[in-house]
Amino acid sequence: MKLEEIDTLTGTAASEAAVAVDLAGLEEVRIRYLGRNGRINDVMEALKAAPRETKKDFGQAANRFKQQIQAAIEERKAALESSAGPAGSMVDTSLPGAWRGGGKLHPITLLIQRATSIFRSMGFTVAEGPDLEDEFHNFDALNTPANHPSRDPSDTFYLDGGLLLRTHTSPVQIRYMETQQPPVRIIAPGRCYRRDTMDATHSANFHQIEGLYVDRDVSLANLKGDLEYFVRKLMNLEDVRIRMRPHFFPFTEPSVEVDYSCHVCQGKGCRVCKHSGWIEIGGAGMVDPNVFQACGYDPEQVTGYAFGMGVERMAMILFGIPDIRLLYENHVRFLQQF
Amino acid sequence: MKVPVGWLQEYVEIDADVQQLADALTFSGIEIEAIHRLGLTCTGVVAAEVREVTPHPNADKLRVCRVFDGNTEHQVVCGAPNVAAGGCYPFAPIGAVLDRGEFKIKKAKLRGVESAGMLCASDELGLSDDHGGLLDLPAGTEPGTPLETLYGEPETVFEVEITPNRPDCLSMIGVAREVAAVFGKTLKLPTPVVSESGEPVASSVTVAIESPEACPRYTARVIENVTIGPSPVWMQKRLELAGIRAINNLVDITNYVMLECGHPLHAFDYALVADGEIVVRQAKPGETMTTLDEVSRELSPEMLVIADRQKPIALAGVMGGAGSEIADTTRTVLLESACFTPGGIRSTARRLGMASESSYRFERGVDVNGVEWASRRAAQLMQELAGGQVRPGVVDVYPAPLEPRTVTCRYQRARTLIGTPDLADETIRDLLTAIGLTVTGGNDEACEVSVPTARLDLEREVDLIEEIARLHGLNQIEAKLSAATINPDADDRDARRVESIREHCVALGGHEIMNYSLVSADLLNQFGIPEPERVALPHPLTQDQAILRPSLVPQMVDTLGRNRARQIRHAVFFEISTVYAPAPAATPEARPKETRTLSVGIMGMPEGQTLAPRLDPSASEMFGFIKGFWERLAEAEGLTDWKIAPDDAPWWEPGLGIALRAGGEVIGRLGIIRKGIRKAWRLSDPIGVFEVALPSLIGEKDSLPTYRAIPQYPSVTRDIALVCDQSLPHETLVEVIWKNSPGTLEAVELFDLYEGDKIGAGKKSLAYSLVYRSAEGTLTDADANGYLESVGQVLKQELNVELRDR
Ligand SMILES: [Zn+2]
Repeated sequence: MKLEEIDTLTGTAASEAAVAVDLAGLEEVRIRYLGRNGRINDVMEALKAAPRETKKDFGQAANRFKQQIQAAIEERKAALESSAGPAGSMVDTSLPGAWRGGGKLHPITLLIQRATSIFRSMGFTVAEGPDLEDEFHNFDALNTPANHPSRDPSDTFYLDGGLLLRTHTSPVQIRYMETQQPPVRIIAPGRCYRRDTMDATHSANFHQIEGLYVDRDVSLANLKGDLEYFVRKLMNLEDVRIRMRPHFFPFTEPSVEVDYSCHVCQGKGCRVCKHSGWIEIGGAGMVDPNVFQACGYDPEQVTGYAFGMGVERMAMILFGIPDIRLLYENHVRFLQQF
Repeated sequence: MKVPVGWLQEYVEIDADVQQLADALTFSGIEIEAIHRLGLTCTGVVAAEVREVTPHPNADKLRVCRVFDGNTEHQVVCGAPNVAAGGCYPFAPIGAVLDRGEFKIKKAKLRGVESAGMLCASDELGLSDDHGGLLDLPAGTEPGTPLETLYGEPETVFEVEITPNRPDCLSMIGVAREVAAVFGKTLKLPTPVVSESGEPVASSVTVAIESPEACPRYTARVIENVTIGPSPVWMQKRLELAGIRAINNLVDITNYVMLECGHPLHAFDYALVADGEIVVRQAKPGETMTTLDEVSRELSPEMLVIADRQKPIALAGVMGGAGSEIADTTRTVLLESACFTPGGIRSTARRLGMASESSYRFERGVDVNGVEWASRRAAQLMQELAGGQVRPGVVDVYPAPLEPRTVTCRYQRARTLIGTPDLADETIRDLLTAIGLTVTGGNDEACEVSVPTARLDLEREVDLIEEIARLHGLNQIEAKLSAATINPDADDRDARRVESIREHCVALGGHEIMNYSLVSADLLNQFGIPEPERVALPHPLTQDQAILRPSLVPQMVDTLGRNRARQIRHAVFFEISTVYAPAPAATPEARPKETRTLSVGIMGMPEGQTLAPRLDPSASEMFGFIKGFWERLAEAEGLTDWKIAPDDAPWWEPGLGIALRAGGEVIGRLGIIRKGIRKAWRLSDPIGVFEVALPSLIGEKDSLPTYRAIPQYPSVTRDIALVCDQSLPHETLVEVIWKNSPGTLEAVELFDLYEGDKIGAGKKSLAYSLVYRSAEGTLTDADANGYLESVGQVLKQELNVELRDR
């Protein structure tokens, strides 16, 4: 027997073992190859007759012959035994499982919880406030001039008696600072309301996440650093850049709008970022001294940053949801996806 | 605002390319929202005279024209309504190209008539969006003149967003000043000079300001012998690029100067101002005036008007009156340049529902010290372009002149707030002077700067720091993670508890839904929620969203119904949101009550095997599902001490709704929605719903679980089967069993319930397992039998049940 013939025989024997229909058939295979009068004798003879210089090779081939055939027989034996249970109890393991239940969180909650857990890891805690606000907390204390367009009844829902549906989560800043002394490090996720006619990107109900950090010597550089860290974790990307553009909000000075480098194209430009390479995450800035004064803080003693981001918008960008109304339709086939 | 870049270049040298310029402005605070190239998008189009117009033989809306292009006549089919013989229009002959090379004009047949080219509307040439008809070229335009000769090269126009704090940028010079500051260039301002002649203006005009708080300054000039006509093409073109229609030289000049320096002006026909008397006053009750747009307006005293001795002649700062309008016959102009305060202009504009370029600027604030410059500039242009003679002097009523402000900026404060420790004092001073501020003093620690009155927004140190930050460049600031100080008092336990409730609801199989906080009256009517329980918006946006929801249940049913309509048979939903109730007392400071609430709704089989027959559950089964959800949730949240009570909510199926009570009050309600309500959503099968106030689940503080020793000795179980009246609640039976059993009773479990023929009407059969166990030792059969015997006796005597052998 030549060296190659031993290996060929090993293969043949292993495949015969693998297709054996029952245990008896498998035993026949074993006897044929490994039995007292089996083909193993031929193999051993070939080993004996092998010249000195190839002895080692023949030795290894003989070992393979024994081990591989034995292993194939064992494997087949285990398979045949497991499927041959008591009569009538054969289980079709390809059937679907019978466990239902286990729902899903709404994508808005998912985004809020994801953001919240990142900010908690940075030492922020969650603060909350009422949906029904007074003008003081929603506007006055936030340094909003008496004639600012956002106060207009065409932009804001007013109730009888002077209350209104809060137009942003910023009043939570005021309520928190009224009762707590610095340092302050909070985020405030919540519902807000504006008189926007509903379309693919607008809803009269929406959610914001507000952030506020007040301490000694808080700077615009801190705002940039903290938001950069946040976006990196939110997007699960190491390489995210933040940029700030000057803007105007009554309650911050300086005020900025914040963009991050698109998580889809890394800033190269794509459909998601409208080919600009950047996606806006929200407005931010350094808390205006007038806001501190309205809350009884001394602006000479503390500085702070604040930011606000639209939850629906971010959820739409992050999850690729094309229309804001899908978020409030509550179709189970939609909810199951998140 | 539209800003033609070519116009900017008149005031500042621009080396940067268009994109660099746009980026630099965006990052210094003037956001360039879009960059347009406005101008001709065609080649080969010429002016042509239409010599004859005849009807098209086969089409009512088409005409056949004979068109002369300066050389030859062509036959052209035209569909525009305004084509007229003798008119001069743009003509695209065969071979001309429109739409930036996309559309080549070829010989064509239109409904059987040959057409050798096409007459064009403004939009087809790229000049505007106007497709109202053919572009009417000025009379006297020579046929054959290429359109390029008339309109020149396309120009770049920025679409600019100016934030409300920067009214000083609502002009070409304002934007140019920013460009100069950002690129370190010098701003070149025109110096208007007029040569005056005739009697001093004061001899023919008087000005009285009766409302100085609404009008701190009013100036008037008089320009005589003006000739009304079209303004020069360069001015027309700039106005059009900036989005303002050219009208005639005088009106165009006032608009031009407004766009140039941001200061709105108004030109009156002097002859129509009675006695040259100008009075700035509040309108009188019942006064009316027809404005330039030919609308008669009823005025009221909160509106500021410009009047002559008899009548209002303009809505101050908003719109002129038709009665004193510049017309072709105007010979003498009374030029108004004034400052009106934002409040008065806003209330006039709002009340009348009007807005103009002028009111837009006054509402944001104009520079009271820029009034005279604007007036002189307009007078100069009227002299140059309308042949006017400017009367000497200016009537200037300015009772309380405004001085430039002085603001101090501490260098270290700026560095700290921005987070740029290396920003040098000198750089800070340079940045501030670049935008027109003057350093007037200071020391090592701070500088004192004088702020021009145009910068109404720069009042405080922090305002200057904002300027420093944006001019230095926000992107120059190195990001620096904050070193957070932890506030030991900060705790968000309640928020974390709500998160935990959410997670438990998900684990129990619920999909979270979110509905709007505002609902329709119709929906609440369907559920029988009366009006006194509603908080309605006085001015809702739509009737669908008119009332703050008093309960989450109606929308839960609606959500289930809408899913059912989309062929979903099984669903478990939950929602956590706020419900609103009217203020409990009629005290003025009482607010409507907001309660964070959880609702759960189940439709179809909430769980089960995929191969089990998908039968819809009965109402009592569904009751079990919804109650089971609540029990598991309450258990997971550590609420053990709760009870059920009757509930009168109008939406339950009779006998299948209960109130949930804990801590002495109702915390929620649970049950099966009434069939009559379900019908509206075609929900024929039972729907289980509960709603519970979250504060009761959240509790005051966290209760931690405590370890109890795991039993060492075996338990003994005994079953007891009984028949009783159907009306006897399980709860009572269990209570009696517990009360009359020894401390060794560990659990009572219902394992069978039967109602039916075999035991007779009005009866039910129940079977319980009673588990006994002692911590001291193994109980004997005899012990257990004794316990069972005695509890059986009490049940018989107290509740009149019949014990059955099993
Ligand atoms: Zn992208």
